[in-house]
Amino acid sequence: MTPGSRLGPRVLSVIAALAGSFLLLFLAAPLVELVGTSGGEGLRRLGSDAELRDSLLLTALCATTATLVGVICGTPLSYLLARREFPGRALLAAVLDLPLLIPHPVAGIALLLLLGRESAVGGAALELGLRIVGTPLGIIAAMLFVSAPLFVSGAREAFAKVDPRYEGVARTLGDSPWRAFYRVTLPLARRGLLASSVVMWARAVSEFGAIVILTYNPKVASILSYDRFTSYGLTEALPVAAALALLALLPLSILRALRTESRSER
Amino acid sequence: MIRLDGISAKKGRFTLADVSFALDQGSFGVVIGPAGSGKTTLLEVVAGLLIPRAGTLLLDGVDARRLAPESRGVGLVYQHAFLFPHLSVRENVAYGAADAATLEEAAGRMGVTSLFARDVRGLSGGERQLVALARALARRPRLLLLDEPFSALDPRRRAIIRREVRAMHREWGLTTLQVTHDFAEAGMLGDQAILLDGGRVLQSGTPAEVFRRPASPYVAEFLGAENVLGGIARDLGEAAPDWIDSASGTFAQGHRAFAFETERLTLYAVGDFAAGAGHAVIRAEEITVARDHSHDSARNRFAGRVIEVTTLGALTRVTIDVRGTPLVAALTTRSASELGIAPGLAVVATFKAMAVHLC
Repeated sequence: MTPGSRLGPRVLSVIAALAGSFLLLFLAAPLVELVGTSGGEGLRRLGSDAELRDSLLLTALCATTATLVGVICGTPLSYLLARREFPGRALLAAVLDLPLLIPHPVAGIALLLLLGRESAVGGAALELGLRIVGTPLGIIAAMLFVSAPLFVSGAREAFAKVDPRYEGVARTLGDSPWRAFYRVTLPLARRGLLASSVVMWARAVSEFGAIVILTYNPKVASILSYDRFTSYGLTEALPVAAALALLALLPLSILRALRTESRSER
Repeated sequence: MIRLDGISAKKGRFTLADVSFALDQGSFGVVIGPAGSGKTTLLEVVAGLLIPRAGTLLLDGVDARRLAPESRGVGLVYQHAFLFPHLSVRENVAYGAADAATLEEAAGRMGVTSLFARDVRGLSGGERQLVALARALARRPRLLLLDEPFSALDPRRRAIIRREVRAMHREWGLTTLQVTHDFAEAGMLGDQAILLDGGRVLQSGTPAEVFRRPASPYVAEFLGAENVLGGIARDLGEAAPDWIDSASGTFAQGHRAFAFETERLTLYAVGDFAAGAGHAVIRAEEITVARDHSHDSARNRFAGRVIEVTTLGALTRVTIDVRGTPLVAALTTRSASELGIAPGLAVVATFKAMAVHLC
């Protein structure tokens, strides 16, 4: 091999490293800057700023509720998609991915059409005394809409990774399908399901576009941050934004812990 | 008892087509076939994990379509064990155990009691198979389905466990269906051999029958028959007395004598073959090799020259060129040494008409 022929791969390696570093810096720098300059102030404000505190609590509660609904309803659906061959499976999977592809304000408008007081569903809910738009229910609906597909997709992958022959063996050992699912499949897919629900929760926490259409007030943290920015400028928005960024670090830490546990068990 | 009648099933792109055979209560059936022949799929159909598209499956006389896998009384052991990784060895064996005594017996006889506290992820391949066997046996099934269950065991352990499984099969009156690609194992274990390829049953019968009388040249070659020659069989009518198998002293009903002509050789055979084009199968161990024309009763006698000698422990395979046709004979290594077998040596290969199977 001539020195010239070795140069090509080296140059390519350097270009690849530079391109990767650029993207890494571009993604990390704004968040590091935000938390670095205003993280302390954001944490201090939690003690003094009741609106920020309430907003973060509302965000966490709504995201948790949306995640619970997503997990309860999404688990059977993802199992079905992972395990069964049936006509229209690809179409169903595509429909489930749709909310990830459309702009979130558009999702908000679509939800408003479905759940607004003029709609059949919204009207029926109102008659039962349930107002969705402009309440935490609207926030939960928006969060569920934009983040549930992430859970379904992750959970489907988690179930697909569990060889169906484990269930088969459990069936021959006396388990009904439900019992085999509960005793074998669920424990084996547990980490993937947990990771998917954490991702769903994180996505729900960070949602803005759909919520702003459905429920501006009471304000979740993303809307409060936007509201402070438009009403009082950057200085007032920064602590809220930093607190929200710190909240987002929570699922990241859980995910990392899950991955470490998974690796150590292999 | 298991009875399959025209069973067809599809798993992914693989199709099991028109599979029929029956296995008596308490008997040991062995399904033999190359990789991808449908052996595992067949076990999954019997276990109820795969629903057949057509055909009838009867388990102890009951239409199995009405029975869920958990109600079939089957124990299934996959080649790769599929132990539950979130459970300990003891929890795996106890998973579907009939009772504590059966659990202890199954674990003890498979030699896994000492592994009870271990994490299954730390087990070797052989240990996994033993735990999987114990887990299936601890349920005390009526029907045991085994998919290459000894493949990861070392030869010594394999012989012990094979014996133990056979003993439990007898003592518990288990009907057993085992999958293997090893015909020697089938011969050692099975009351019945079912030869499967491409999702179809090629032949079934006792292992000796399938081994001695393969239904086609493909089956013969799959079962390791070294000499499969194409040619034309000519009916000679009633066989002469000196053709009769000296062991049985009789001539099987319907059997006739044939002259089988290959391109260069004429062999003599006895069987119930229809005259015409076909194949002659002669197993290597049926061919005797001598240095001169010794006088024995064998009808087929060919002079030739040794072209290859392969020693495999106690056995030596000798390839003899007979007028351009290679014939493979199996001798004990001691005999080969006493005869001074070596490439180039002129020898005489002989075999009985009864040793030639036409198909």
